[in-house]
Amino acid sequence: MDYAICLGMFLPLLGFIFLSLGGKYLSRQQISQVACGTLFVSFLCFLGLLMQHVFLGKESTSLILFQWIHVAGVEANAKLTLDALSLMMCLIVTGVSFLIHVYSIGYMDHEDDYYRYFACLNFFVFAMLLLVLAGDALLLFAGWEAVGLASYLLIGFWYSHPPAAAAATKAFVVNRIGDFGFLLALLLTFYLFGTSDLTAIFDNASAQYPIGSMWMTALTALFFVGAIGKSAQIPLHVWLPDAMEGPTPVSALIHAATMVTAGVYLVVRMNPLFTLAPETLQVIGAIGGTTSLFAAFCAVGQTDLKKVLAYSTVSQLGLMFLACGVGAFYAAMFHLMTHAFMKALLFLSAGNVIHMIGGKTEMNDMGGLGKVFTKTNIFFLIGVLAMSGIPPLAAFFSKDLIVEQEYQTGHYVLFYVAMLASLLTGFYLTRAYCLTFLGKLKVDSSTPKTFHEAPNVMLIPVGILAFFSVIGGFIGAKPLLMSFLEKVGVTLAVEPHEPTFLFSFETWMSIGIALLGVGASFLVYTQYKGLLPEKPFKVLKQAFYIDQIYDFLIVKPYQQLSIFVANFIEPTVFGGTIRGVAKTTNYAAGTLQLLQSGQIRSYAAWLAAGALFMILFFALQM
Amino acid sequence: MNIFIIASMLMFAIGITGVLIKRNAIIFFLSLEMMLNSANLLFVGFAHRWGNEIGHIWVFFVLVVAAAEAAVGLAIIINMFKTKQVVDVDQYNTLKG
Repeated sequence: MDYAICLGMFLPLLGFIFLSLGGKYLSRQQISQVACGTLFVSFLCFLGLLMQHVFLGKESTSLILFQWIHVAGVEANAKLTLDALSLMMCLIVTGVSFLIHVYSIGYMDHEDDYYRYFACLNFFVFAMLLLVLAGDALLLFAGWEAVGLASYLLIGFWYSHPPAAAAATKAFVVNRIGDFGFLLALLLTFYLFGTSDLTAIFDNASAQYPIGSMWMTALTALFFVGAIGKSAQIPLHVWLPDAMEGPTPVSALIHAATMVTAGVYLVVRMNPLFTLAPETLQVIGAIGGTTSLFAAFCAVGQTDLKKVLAYSTVSQLGLMFLACGVGAFYAAMFHLMTHAFMKALLFLSAGNVIHMIGGKTEMNDMGGLGKVFTKTNIFFLIGVLAMSGIPPLAAFFSKDLIVEQEYQTGHYVLFYVAMLASLLTGFYLTRAYCLTFLGKLKVDSSTPKTFHEAPNVMLIPVGILAFFSVIGGFIGAKPLLMSFLEKVGVTLAVEPHEPTFLFSFETWMSIGIALLGVGASFLVYTQYKGLLPEKPFKVLKQAFYIDQIYDFLIVKPYQQLSIFVANFIEPTVFGGTIRGVAKTTNYAAGTLQLLQSGQIRSYAAWLAAGALFMILFFALQM
Repeated sequence: MNIFIIASMLMFAIGITGVLIKRNAIIFFLSLEMMLNSANLLFVGFAHRWGNEIGHIWVFFVLVVAAAEAAVGLAIIINMFKTKQVVDVDQYNTLKG
């Protein structure tokens, strides 16, 4: 079955190579066939592997593609590991990617550089699969960097549009900060274990280091720095809202469903290490909690539809880290899965609207679109309700599990943080829904080209995602996903409640909170407009001025430093040294050239003086 | 014996002084020949002192070379005169840095 893994993983790479080299000569239809076809086959491969795991009870497959680095003290192989965890991620990645590829056919239909878009998208899927399947930390890092590259290329897809180019650079640079932590973690791994093979690391770590040992805390903290960057947690969250400059399907795929969850995946994948470092877990919980609350508040203030969803993503990722922080790794993975469906659904249905009204994302210019986009309206509403945690939709189960775990492990602060974040989730998503789809029709129907419901090629993927957002919660129930992931040690902190109709206190509370958030928002934005004061929303819209603070504290001083270096250090120190050498040589030559006067008698005098000097020298020596 | 050495040193000193202070190319050349012959004198003197004929033979060699060199030198002086109508060596200082 190694073939299926390789086929599934390398087909998107082949698609990327084929499209980037030959895309120019293909028609649009052929390009989309190649891009979607490779992904569909890839998805089928992983589906087949899933069948094998489920029905044949296969545990995990390791496959060494080639020996990579073998020198003293450093051992790294290009090793792929397919176990329940990576298989689940592969299915999410290829499945959601396939739907978004199909959707992109409709979304990108009028764009130039059609093949560049699909080539990058295929490359992204390959990189993500590499990240997920890697059984070696160094190979994982390679995938980690490759998804960063794909993200950069796709955020900056409209590179001639300056904000998009700036957002791409920002995403890349901010991610570099996190990657630096990851790189240090890799160095520490080699220092401690001499290998980057994940299985070997986990075995050695639990054998050699006690719980709470300093080395493990340092190692996991460094890995978590990488996760902070990739998953846009505080303080490195600033790139994700800006990344919305990219095409909407890209935002859905990379910046909501898959790539940004890589940080969560990393923590879950490394859970044997993280459980050895309780301090790091506490930090993870704290950062996750802060981020989820912070981003939820920011989302309330946004007026850009895509930015609401972006901050919502940051907030949900925070919840996943919150779950990791108390050791409920399974809850994080479960929420990751349902979030992938729901957020892709929200982004794509938002994309339908954005595409059809001509690329505008400002919600103040929308309103009343539900009358035109009847189907999209329903899909978006499903997404909103699912995400808000209304039973029995997906997030009710996954978010409830997180909340329950917080409560049962006694992390009451985190419990209330998660509750408040859930409340705000319902509030801001319903707000976005009301502002976009309800109320008076604000879009001037003469400006956009064709003002009607999106074509089927865009609606069907959205419909499939909506279906999974509805039933996604049931997949995570005890006998299915949970026992599947338990085999690889992805478990909960404490045993969950048996499902009964008499819900526990936390469950009632989370249902109440969800209904409260949705209901309050619905009333405020339909019946009682102008009830809320304007001023706090301005602060929230600017995301508490974090960007401006960073600008003031880091970017501006750095620019000043650069200008200082350019204007002062560069001309004086470097230029001065070079010019000094030149001037010295010139001066010496100018002085010495006077000796060469052309006067024969002066030459003779020098000759005589030299001879005299030598005679005296030897005479005195004797 | 000392008389040879003293005479030779005197000749050499007079020759080098002439080279350094005279501007006329002919005198300059003459002084040069004088320095050459001071060495010859020393050769002859030492050969006489030590009864060794090799010194004498060397003198003949030097004289032959000096004769050839005098021919070349005079030819150069004639050409100098042809170009500038003067034989003042200080006038020929165009080869400077």
